Amino acid sequence: MPLARSLSMTSLNGLPQWEDEDLPVEDLLLFEVSWEVTNKVGGIYTVIQTKAKITADEWGENYFLVGPYFEHNVKTQVEACEPPNPAVKKAMDTMKSQGCQVFFGRWLIEGSPYVLLFDIGSAAWNLDKWKGEFWDVSNIGIPFHDREANDAVIFGSLTAWFLKELSCQFDDKPNIIAHFHEWQAGVGLILSRSQKLPVATIFTTHATLLGRYLCAANIDFYNNLDQFDIDKEAGERQIYHRYCMERASVHCAHVFTTVSQITAIEAEHMLKRNPDVVTPNGLNIKKFSAMHEFQNLHSMYKARIQEFIRGHFYGHLDFSLEKTLFFFIAGRYEFSNKGADMFLEALSRLNFLLRVHKTDVTVVVFFIMPAKTNNFNVETLKGQAVRKQLWDTAQSVKEKFGKKLYNALLKGEIPDLNKILDRDDITIMKRAIFSTQRHCLPPVTTHNMIDDGNDPILNTIRRIGLFNNRTDRVKVILHPEFLSSTSPLLPLDYEEFVRGCHLGVFPSYYEPWGYTPAECTVMGIPSVTTNLSGFGCFMQEHVADPAAYGIYIVDRRFRSPDESCNQLTQFLYGFCQQSRRQRIIQRNRTERLSDLLDWRYLGRYYMHARHLALSRTFPDKFEMEPSAPPKTEGFRYPRPSSVPPSPSVSQHSSPHQSEGEDEDEDERYDEDEEAERDRQNIKSPFSLGVLPQGKKKQHGEYRN
Amino acid sequence: MLGKRNWQFDAYGTERLMRRRVLETVFDEVVLVNVLDSGDSAHLALMKRPELGVTLTKLHCWELTQFSKCVFMDADTMVLSNIDELFEREELSAAPDPGWPDCFNSGVFVYRPSIETYNQLLQFATENGSFDGADQGLLNTFFSSWATTDMSKHLPFIYNLSSTSVYSYLPAFKAFGANTKVVHFLGSTKPWNYTYDSRTKSIKGNMDDPKIVHPEFLDMWWDTYTANVLPLLEQHGIVKESITGVNMLSGLVYTLAFSCGFCREAEVSEAMSHISISASSPALPTVSSEERKERWEQGQADYLGVDSFDNIKKKLDTYLQ
Repeated sequence: MPLARSLSMTSLNGLPQWEDEDLPVEDLLLFEVSWEVTNKVGGIYTVIQTKAKITADEWGENYFLVGPYFEHNVKTQVEACEPPNPAVKKAMDTMKSQGCQVFFGRWLIEGSPYVLLFDIGSAAWNLDKWKGEFWDVSNIGIPFHDREANDAVIFGSLTAWFLKELSCQFDDKPNIIAHFHEWQAGVGLILSRSQKLPVATIFTTHATLLGRYLCAANIDFYNNLDQFDIDKEAGERQIYHRYCMERASVHCAHVFTTVSQITAIEAEHMLKRNPDVVTPNGLNIKKFSAMHEFQNLHSMYKARIQEFIRGHFYGHLDFSLEKTLFFFIAGRYEFSNKGADMFLEALSRLNFLLRVHKTDVTVVVFFIMPAKTNNFNVETLKGQAVRKQLWDTAQSVKEKFGKKLYNALLKGEIPDLNKILDRDDITIMKRAIFSTQRHCLPPVTTHNMIDDGNDPILNTIRRIGLFNNRTDRVKVILHPEFLSSTSPLLPLDYEEFVRGCHLGVFPSYYEPWGYTPAECTVMGIPSVTTNLSGFGCFMQEHVADPAAYGIYIVDRRFRSPDESCNQLTQFLYGFCQQSRRQRIIQRNRTERLSDLLDWRYLGRYYMHARHLALSRTFPDKFEMEPSAPPKTEGFRYPRPSSVPPSPSVSQHSSPHQSEGEDEDEDERYDEDEEAERDRQNIKSPFSLGVLPQGKKKQHGEYRN
Repeated sequence: MLGKRNWQFDAYGTERLMRRRVLETVFDEVVLVNVLDSGDSAHLALMKRPELGVTLTKLHCWELTQFSKCVFMDADTMVLSNIDELFEREELSAAPDPGWPDCFNSGVFVYRPSIETYNQLLQFATENGSFDGADQGLLNTFFSSWATTDMSKHLPFIYNLSSTSVYSYLPAFKAFGANTKVVHFLGSTKPWNYTYDSRTKSIKGNMDDPKIVHPEFLDMWWDTYTANVLPLLEQHGIVKESITGVNMLSGLVYTLAFSCGFCREAEVSEAMSHISISASSPALPTVSSEERKERWEQGQADYLGVDSFDNIKKKLDTYLQ
């Protein structure tokens, strides 16, 4: 297959074309319905917003996003315009004439897609009637006290009404596809089906309601997947109506999709339907024109983090910042779902390993998880002030020193080094040094926590005793607030911070997709994930040796927690043993994976789902090979031949050994060559149908 | 807890009389009120002002003339300590309403039964109605001097502590809450609407609800229920031990709370038959669609029975090919 696009040096462009017949989009209308269109509530917003561009590129004027109307959102994100499609306009006018506010415009994001927004409040007077209608078709009732669910009924009824007004204007074509995201949009799907509207429906869950609840309750979820009495579990958790809305939508959809293999398994048991297609989430990837620009950014932002560390650990800076690695975990504060519990335990073990092996590497770990706080604590702010003071002192002495030196040189003398600093200078410097004396340990948190005594992270730190002692090789800093470039402590935004770190650690137990490690990957920062996260599953399928590419996948599914924790510890310890050069090579490889996460590649799963929905709804018009749906293993990144010791296998007792190995590495590693080979490799056909068996085996060769 | 005096309970929802026998083991006297069938002056009043249906039921307490003085308590109140001293008070003693302290809250009040007062109240209701459409409005207009005349008729707030005040004036609650004698679960979500986890001995559910910030009263209600009421229900075969699904229980409590009250001799047998029906099968398939929808809307879907997803699926499959 010819690759039309030009190739950048560090990336793998030119992913194979999907061998799916192009849909006749000019004879189709695509509606994507979600509560989070122009309305940021959670992660679905990111999915829809980033995906809009490739979908709009494909569908042009025939693509519409459908969401709820909220004035503050519309004012800042939407530009009003007239609907270009007369049928859409007519359907809207009908609804308006019956007292419902409908809003049309362009969403001001990349791709600027059309949006159709329903004003929930203006239609709320129909609530009782619509709840009755929904009851009549589904036998699902909605409790009064659940505002969100009641809104979902209004939103769904409006969506179905619109689709009805629209479809009744068409005879043969255009055909309509309606793609619904999450249970909040599901009522529209159920009602469309019950009215037998000629609409191809797709339903996507990004997680299951019940799965999230069960995992958050610390239940051994994945080992008991098939054991749960799901009606009962949902009922006891008082989410029965929501669970029914979700499950009924899944049941009614022509095509059902989820975002990852692991969520597919979850859906099989929590929603009792196997997804037809797995549609992973992508990102909009911006390529830097300069080669290795991301490496420069890494050192630039690393220097900023080092500055912060100098202040935070003042008086305790007996470790070399050059040999200090920055790890971080970030996300919603869900202690066990996000795997912070396991991470802390692994850090305690890592600390032990680094100490007994007398390593000179120090690890500083950041926990970026927002919790309730009363702003920064005094000790942390003092640290930064002390650092600033030392800096100022050094600057003023330097100034004087420079002048004297200059004068001496003008006179043609070499200055007397014993006299170049006078008593005053010495006094100033001594006082500055005295002020850095510290009678306490560097704090483990940057903020005054409101619920300090019950904070799970702090309590675990207390239990395992990681108090930033001088002897500790692992230091921890809990930053319980989102990062901001205006912070007086660590003036970096999240992206800059990630770029400055060495490793992101996300050992999640419940993570349907996992945007955090995906973001690390596209910035060329290695990360730890698990085979219980959608991202981890995805990488496992696509990359033969993920660890060499900076994706460490902890097995939390088939191992006991203690074994998983040991594995995580080994990953972390192995990472610490890499030389700087090895880390640079690894970052290059990590960054090369970003094409995998680009919507330009992942968008095709959505295309496939749409095609499938059409062929099921209008079998006469849209044929589809009765082949298996595409496996996500369209291609695999091979194991690199010049492997910088994959951390999981390198167990050196001496840290110096790696220096010698570096020389060896120089001859074996050629980045251009390797990138070229990766590129070659992914040219293998990526088809909907059966994969050529020969090719597949060839890939398998790389596995061992 | 209840002594020898007649504690009288709010008694609307009289069609749901089922748990009479259990009530009789706890209360000295149980009387069923049914305004609609009574044919007396209350019935006539109701014909003129149908909107006051529930309100008029409460007024029946003035008919208990075999007692010289009574304390009325709503079914959503919970007594925490002995409150016999209330009988030292005069008619009409009540605690201020937290929403409008110039009115008293009619969830707990001391009064003297009297047919004369009863008739005056009925007449007053027929002529003037109630400004809030319920008993509290009516009683506050009838006993309008309460706010201004005799401080001894102002019961301390601890005799009718509304659960909403806990979070609306938290410091006061912290200072005085420990003395509370009667808690009144105001608001639309009653203790029996929550789900209780018997293992952790705490209520589960929606933590956004501000009332759950201080869940100790709710937990206490459930403790009392599981320790004292549930064994009685089991003993009388109303709840079988095998079906201890907590939600099921909360459904039963729901019924129970509405079924206390007065009863006329002729209706005893009917009430008894209600008990046996509900004992044999708490969820008969004969429940109407409308009733089922209502139960969903109160968060009481019968998810283990008629509302299971399998049944929903059957419904959906009728229009899916």
